[in-house]
Amino acid sequence: MKLRYNLFMTNRSLLSRKDILHLAKLANLSLTNKEIEEYLDQLEDTLSYIDNLKELDTANLLPAARSSNEGNIFFKDGIENGRALTLNETLQNAKKTKDGLFQIPQILNDK
Amino acid sequence: MQILGKSIADLQALIGSRKIKVKEVQQYFLKRVRKYNPTLNAFLTVQDQDEMSPINGVLAGIPFAVKDNFCTKGIRTTASSCVLDQFIPPYESTVTMRLLSAGATILGKTNMDAWAHGSSTETSDYGPTKNPWDLTRSPGGSSGGSAAAVSAYLTPAAIGSETAGSIRQPAAWTGVVGLKPSYGRVSRYGVIAMGSSFDCPGPLTLTVKDAAILLGVIAGKDPFDGTSSNIPTADYKTMLKAKKFLTIGIAKEYMEGMEESLKLKIEESLRIFQKLGHRIKTVSLLSPKYAISVYTIIQRAEVSSNLARYDGIRYGNDRTFFAAEAKRRTMLGAYTLSFGYYDAYYKKAQKVRTLIVEDFKRAFKDVDVIVAASTPISALKLGEFAKYPFFGELMDVLNEPAAIAGIPAISVPCGQDKNGLPVGLQIMGNYFDEATILNLAFQFEKETEFFGVIKKGIARYQD
Repeated sequence: MKLRYNLFMTNRSLLSRKDILHLAKLANLSLTNKEIEEYLDQLEDTLSYIDNLKELDTANLLPAARSSNEGNIFFKDGIENGRALTLNETLQNAKKTKDGLFQIPQILNDK
Repeated sequence: MQILGKSIADLQALIGSRKIKVKEVQQYFLKRVRKYNPTLNAFLTVQDQDEMSPINGVLAGIPFAVKDNFCTKGIRTTASSCVLDQFIPPYESTVTMRLLSAGATILGKTNMDAWAHGSSTETSDYGPTKNPWDLTRSPGGSSGGSAAAVSAYLTPAAIGSETAGSIRQPAAWTGVVGLKPSYGRVSRYGVIAMGSSFDCPGPLTLTVKDAAILLGVIAGKDPFDGTSSNIPTADYKTMLKAKKFLTIGIAKEYMEGMEESLKLKIEESLRIFQKLGHRIKTVSLLSPKYAISVYTIIQRAEVSSNLARYDGIRYGNDRTFFAAEAKRRTMLGAYTLSFGYYDAYYKKAQKVRTLIVEDFKRAFKDVDVIVAASTPISALKLGEFAKYPFFGELMDVLNEPAAIAGIPAISVPCGQDKNGLPVGLQIMGNYFDEATILNLAFQFEKETEFFGVIKKGIARYQD
């Protein structure tokens, strides 16, 4: 099979193990040692590829957040917007609820 | 009454003239799903309905399959991830709501790459879908379950979603019709968010007319999706009939690196377009290799934001249930959005997005549509994708520019490659001009009957 794009223009200095751990923390993910090594390699491959954007001159361009030209959309909040869920519907998929509220893990220490 | 291979339009006529009962149609497809789904793994959830929906509306009694990232009230919706293994949506997506209101019924929910991250349906936590043409091959993805279900006629039509290639690529690999509408043409409300500035729901069908019929039902402004457009929809089905003569653009940048036997099919298709009276004109477009980078950066950034909500508190399981692909994408997104890298990656990609949008706008001053292959190669063996973490993006190279620009595109079968696998031809159109790409695809279908690809796909799966 022929592919025109070189996948392996590797540049082995883009990321460190520490970076991967930091990213995992930002993304609230826990990784095994094996995963850390794998993702280090794989993310470097990807970063090497996307570096090709440097070939393009974008000095005079404005960034596009999206492709459409629609203006801002406003609507009144509240039950009349038709999207509101009942309390039961809101809670139906939660693992832990109490007195009609979501129960969340403790975030502050008792001490 | 022989139902095998009947399109939505055929079934509408049969149901309308009472030659066939709605219940019969429902039972027929349920039976086929039960017979073939254990082999294909196209459906994750099947809806055996005792009660028939009200038989009113343009799609009265027509069953359809829907990708498992559309929220369906009361029907399990997983996005093929164990994070949402038991998630029962308390509301209906706008797309499924509109189809149900038109009288259609949900046959089941189809397999996909988990969170729609992928191009092979192999990242599904519920196992890969098999390509109905060759069970050792991938159907493509992420809407692989929807595509396979249509290809093997387990459903007369399916709804998929595309962020960049997820409708067109599996449509091409399984030999069916796949339409990606313009961004904003079809509401994203109730679709499990992936790349929010790209996500487009669209139909996978056996015929171009069916794609036009379904688009007519699902398209149009939705107050629940701020990015859905106010631009009026058209009567897509009626507009198929006008014999338009068009200027068709082809870009050499899109023909490079293609597998030779696919390239031959595209060239043959171009000759057919000429024979039909259309003019072929060469245009120059930015190399699609840059689109891969733009897409990778922006989409990962949007993924890292969209997947942040899965904390296992309000619904679903906690974040330890994420599989490898979601983790990789989330972390890359966090990286490119990080302080110090934002300008180099995210902002740069947004600027190149502007460049791609302008590139297409310039091209559409000279041509009515742009034609290219849907994929550079035909369906790969299962397992190939896992070897390269970035491989899916390369498979979608010809789909990503249109996705980034937000223009509409349709993939239709244009023959078989040297291994007998289906080849897809895509027609890209100007913003909100779905009518023109459907029109040209319809002309192509009438002239070629897609070289018998649809029929051959179904013939392997007799009743």
